[in-house]
Formats: sequence, structure tokens, C-alpha cells
Amino acid sequence: MAEINFTKLLVHLVVLVDVVLLHVAYATYFERKVIGHMQMRMGPTRVGPMGLLQPIADGIKLFFKEDIIPAAADRPLFYAAPIICLVAMLSCLAVLPFDPNHVLADLNIGLIFIFAMSSLASYGVVLAGWASNSKYSFLGGMRSMSQVISYEIAMGLSLVGVMMMTGSLNLGQIVAAQAASPFGIYAIPQFIGFFVFVVSMLAETNRVPFDLPEAETELVAGYCTEYSGIRFSLFFMAEYIGMIVMASIGTICFLGGWNGPFTVPYVPFFWFLLKIYAIMFFFFWVRATLPRYRYDQLMDLGWKFLIPLALANILLTGLMKTVLE
Amino acid sequence: MIVKHKKKRNLLETIFLVEILKGMGLTLRRMFSKPVTCQYPTEKRQPSLGFRGKHALVRNPHTQGSKCVACLRCVTICPSQCISIRFHQDEENGPRLLDSYEIEALRCIYCGYCAEVCPVNAILLTESYEYSSYDRQSIFFDQEKLLANWDEFMDQGNHNPHTYVNPFWRPRGCDIKGLAAPRRKAVPEEWTREGQIVGRKHKAAASPAPPEQGAKQ
Repeated sequence: MAEINFTKLLVHLVVLVDVVLLHVAYATYFERKVIGHMQMRMGPTRVGPMGLLQPIADGIKLFFKEDIIPAAADRPLFYAAPIICLVAMLSCLAVLPFDPNHVLADLNIGLIFIFAMSSLASYGVVLAGWASNSKYSFLGGMRSMSQVISYEIAMGLSLVGVMMMTGSLNLGQIVAAQAASPFGIYAIPQFIGFFVFVVSMLAETNRVPFDLPEAETELVAGYCTEYSGIRFSLFFMAEYIGMIVMASIGTICFLGGWNGPFTVPYVPFFWFLLKIYAIMFFFFWVRATLPRYRYDQLMDLGWKFLIPLALANILLTGLMKTVLE
Repeated sequence: MIVKHKKKRNLLETIFLVEILKGMGLTLRRMFSKPVTCQYPTEKRQPSLGFRGKHALVRNPHTQGSKCVACLRCVTICPSQCISIRFHQDEENGPRLLDSYEIEALRCIYCGYCAEVCPVNAILLTESYEYSSYDRQSIFFDQEKLLANWDEFMDQGNHNPHTYVNPFWRPRGCDIKGLAAPRRKAVPEEWTREGQIVGRKHKAAASPAPPEQGAKQ
């Protein structure tokens, strides 16, 4: 019995990681195409039909690039940092329910687990900044740390409303409770929470307009300045997996998970994927539109605006819950 | 100068992030518009009139050589001093005979002064711009190569050798009477722009201000 479960688990694991990494590769293609067309360019067109093989060419290039390590770097930490980042982000995937029957680890504390793991990923970033022994990396790492700490609170508080309405931290149960709720999705009753979540989602994943840890104009490439080749691509993958994970949490907690207007036969995860793609598109859309925040504005927005707003949302949710019952 | 002050946004607009939404609407609309990209190696851009590209010496149809009279005006005016000419004279006060005409195109800054100053329309800059190379030797133009450049340019068939005019041949505001005889060429119709002096007739048509002269007389 135990052995069968183990094989099944392994297959599930391999398929999941492969599918996600393929999504990561094509997310870069999707991003370049979307941003290109938004800026009236074309994006990749050369490699394969419509540039469809571009991510594969990029992957091959990154894999075979020279791996340069600065002489002054702290080697063990320098090696470990990208792995910490990637492992933390990949382990988030374990608790995500893609449809009612496909969840690798059906944890009762799924949401908390994801928070813990995404905070752990920022360790990788900070260590990379520290170990590189370069001022740009260091500043990037510091910024990332303070940004993630600030916005983690806002994000956690924004999801408290969802937890209160569901009474559970299990992601599968959140989706199930959402389907039973009057609107079908929590984005409508929890619109304040959803807004706070969307903003802090952008900040958590270090995306524009909150991409201060890797602000090109100021910090070269931030924490991954000194990284090259496959190590750089590990950071890159971690960032995109982070985006996918955040998009999944948004889908699960606010947009109704795998439930949609109608059920699609044979593809139970159809709506889940569609919603993830929509949120990913939103990431790229924002990137094509907004300029970067100034650092003090970023901190102001996080501490003085989003956290009070999220607390107000908790209060309102509690009031509504008591009034309705 | 007109200073346009930004309208102060009201509270409602601040809460609903109207400005950000407007910006995002703009980018969304742009996503469905046609890209402005010119896919260079496959589609080529047509150079505009007066484009300053590869150098050429105009081939004289009678002698099959260049029209150059070795006056050295181009050598004198060239800011980067990339033109060098050798000539000899068979007899004293006789015509100068060109021995070599060389342009070191890597040093050229494409100002077009040489074409502007030439009294016989011998040197000019063509519209060809694709002549990069892996060695310096092929971008060092001697007389043979410069004449070949002209042939190549004419073979493209976009221009009539008798009417091809670069704006440097006849700069704007330059009186036709001040030009040497070979430079008073007919100008193609599409080249007559506003402010361009092309013959006396065109000038009279372009600026209807003869009453001043009439008043003086």
C-alpha cells in the first residue's frame, strides 16, 4: 500500500515540476510578446515559428554559459543562495490544489506553509546579496529583505478575511467554501482584501512597479548582479515560479480556484489554469505600464496604507459575519 | 510657452486609481495596434531624399572615367581629412590629370561637404548604406571602387543618372547663378520642396513678394 502511494507520489511530483518549469519557460516568452506588443514592438520572432522556440534557445544559452564566481565572494553561501531560492519556491507548489483530486500535499495549514516558504525564498536573495561581496548585490539584497518583510504582513492580513469567511487554512477547503458562497468568488465580498493582495503580490514577487531589489537603473541587476549562467537562471526560475505561486494563491483565495461558469470535461484544471494565465497577464500588463516606485514611497504604501487597509478589512469582515449570523 | 498644469485629482479618482487605470487602458489598446518594427534584414527601409551613404565618383559617360578635375576643393573642405588626391600636369598651366582619388571611408563623418563643394558634380554620396565589412581594406575606396560604387548605385535603377540630385549638390537658399555651370541641373519634380530654390520661376511662384522691388523702382 505504502509503496504504491510512493510511486504515485513520485510520478505526480515529476509531472508537476516539469509542467511548472515549462510554464516558467513560456511565461518569459508570453511576457516578452505581451510587453513587446504593448510597446508597439514585436517581441521574439526569429527562433522557430513566431519565436516559439525562444525560451528553449534561452535555456540552452544560459545552461552553457560560463559560470563566473567573483574572487571575493563567500563561496559556500554563493553556491547555496540560488538553490535556497528555488527550493523554497518549488516547495510552495506542493500544497497548491490544481483541481479537487490533484494536490501533492493536502496540508491543513496550506496558506501558512506558502507564506513561510515565500519568506524563506527571501533568505536566498539576502544571502546572494551578502555572499556576492558587491555593493549592488548587497543593496539589492537589503532592499529585498525590507520589502518582503513589509509586504508579507500586508499580504497575510489581506488573506485573514478569506480565512475568516472560510474558517480554514486548507487551500482545497477554501475553494470548496468559496463555491458554496453566494457570489461564488471571494473577490467580490473581499474586494478590499483582494486589492491589498494584488498590490502586495506585485511587491512580494519583486515585480514592476516594486522591482527595487533589482532596479536596473540603480543597481545593475540587484542581488543577482554577480551571478551568471545556470546560477542566474536558478534565480530567474525562482522568480517566475514565485509569480506562478502568487497567481495560484490569488486564484484559490479570491477567484474561485478550479470552479468556473461551467465544467469543462476531461480538463478539471481548465479554469484554474485560465485564471492563472489571466493573473500572469496582469503582472506583465502592469510591468508594461507603470514606472518604478521610489523607495520611501514603497515603504509608505506598505506600512501606512496597505496594512491599515487590510486591518480595516478584517474588522469589516468580522462585523459582517456577526451581523449576518 | 503654454504651461499646462495637471488637473488636481479629486478623492474619488485617487481611491479608484483612475490615472493608473487610464494608463493601463492605453497599454491594452496599444497591444492590438500594429507594431512599428521594421524587420531590417528582410524588409529594408527606403532612404529619404538626401540620404548620405556610400561614396561614389560619377562615371563620365564619354570618357568612362571620373568627372573629377582635381581642383582639391573636397580635400580642402573635408573635416576628417579622409580624401586624398594625386594629380599631375603634362605642361605648365595645362589641365590637371587625376592619378588617384582615395577616400578612407572609415574616417568619413558623412557631412556631405565634398559633394556640396564639388564644381563638376564628380563626388557624391549615394543612398546605399549596407557596406560593412570584416576588413578595413574593402572600406578603403580608391578611384576604381568609387566608380564601381556609382555603377552599382545606378544598376539599382531607382534614379536617373542625369537628374539624381543630392540636396548637397544644391543647398537650400543657394542662388542658382552662384553655381558652376555643371551644377545647374534639372531637379526631379518630387524634390521641389518648400523653401527649395529651383530656378527663377519656382522662386517667383514660391515667394509672391515682388511689390518691394516695384516700390524701389
